Amino acid sequence: MVRFKSRYLLCEVCVPDRSSLQLLEDRTIYNTLRAAVNRAHGDYGSALFNIGVIVKYLNAHTGVVLIRSRKKHYRLIWSALSFITCLENRGQKVQCFLNCLHVGGTIRTCQKFLVKYNRQQLHRMLPDCKTDAEKQEVRRAILSCSLSNVREEEADEDGSDDDDDGDEET
Amino acid sequence: MEEPSKFERYVYKNASVYHYMKISLVLENGNKYITDAQFKQLIICGLKDLYGEVGASFPFDLLKFDQNELTGILRVYNSGLVKLWSALTLLGSYQNEACAFRVTQVSPFLLALSGNSRELRFGDQLIW
Repeated sequence: MVRFKSRYLLCEVCVPDRSSLQLLEDRTIYNTLRAAVNRAHGDYGSALFNIGVIVKYLNAHTGVVLIRSRKKHYRLIWSALSFITCLENRGQKVQCFLNCLHVGGTIRTCQKFLVKYNRQQLHRMLPDCKTDAEKQEVRRAILSCSLSNVREEEADEDGSDDDDDGDEET
Repeated sequence: MEEPSKFERYVYKNASVYHYMKISLVLENGNKYITDAQFKQLIICGLKDLYGEVGASFPFDLLKFDQNELTGILRVYNSGLVKLWSALTLLGSYQNEACAFRVTQVSPFLLALSGNSRELRFGDQLIW
């Protein structure tokens, strides 16, 4: 069948202090990314950005961004991510870099990866915990994050969504 | 009896790593004094406008440059031919003056650029 296939880039915004993350908006990321693609890839890159790219999801607390682009040009957008050094948000410049965690063919695969990734991060946080109460918190968080929510969604749908899952390791 | 001479034909795909382009710069107000470095810089600016920093960093060489005629021979890798050619097509101005690049010949072999049927001159008598 003929339809537009897309690639979802799951990225993480890494900042030196987490408080500056709170005011992040998806428009900020979009404009910064557009400027970076224009600098790195010129008029050709700007045109490709205009047709296919949109910031689908942004979590200001954890700094997770989901960027959607066309399947043919996702590498171009991905390469421009490394040129982003600061995000400008209402006159404030926040020093940061965007780290790409995962490339997926659908939002669902990115969601599954994110759950697994978060669980790994929590495992890594466990030895760093100083008090017992923190350790209990972390253990409870690890046990609570599961793929059951995602599996329920899959059971509901008829499985007609068969995007090719472009699972690539970063 | 002699054997009939065999005819063999070799067909190469991607025989050469490079492509060679013979180009000439045409300015609106007649010829200016342009050095070879300025010529190459002009082409790099054109690449930068269209393809950004990544495009402008693509390596190409100016092999020969004729300052009187403003013609030159460029050498570029196969993967960059389309980008270079499109950047040359869309280049419009040099120091606020209208200009155009004319691409005379493109070939994967440098030897092919030495003979050009556009500049062919017949002798006085055509022998049939």
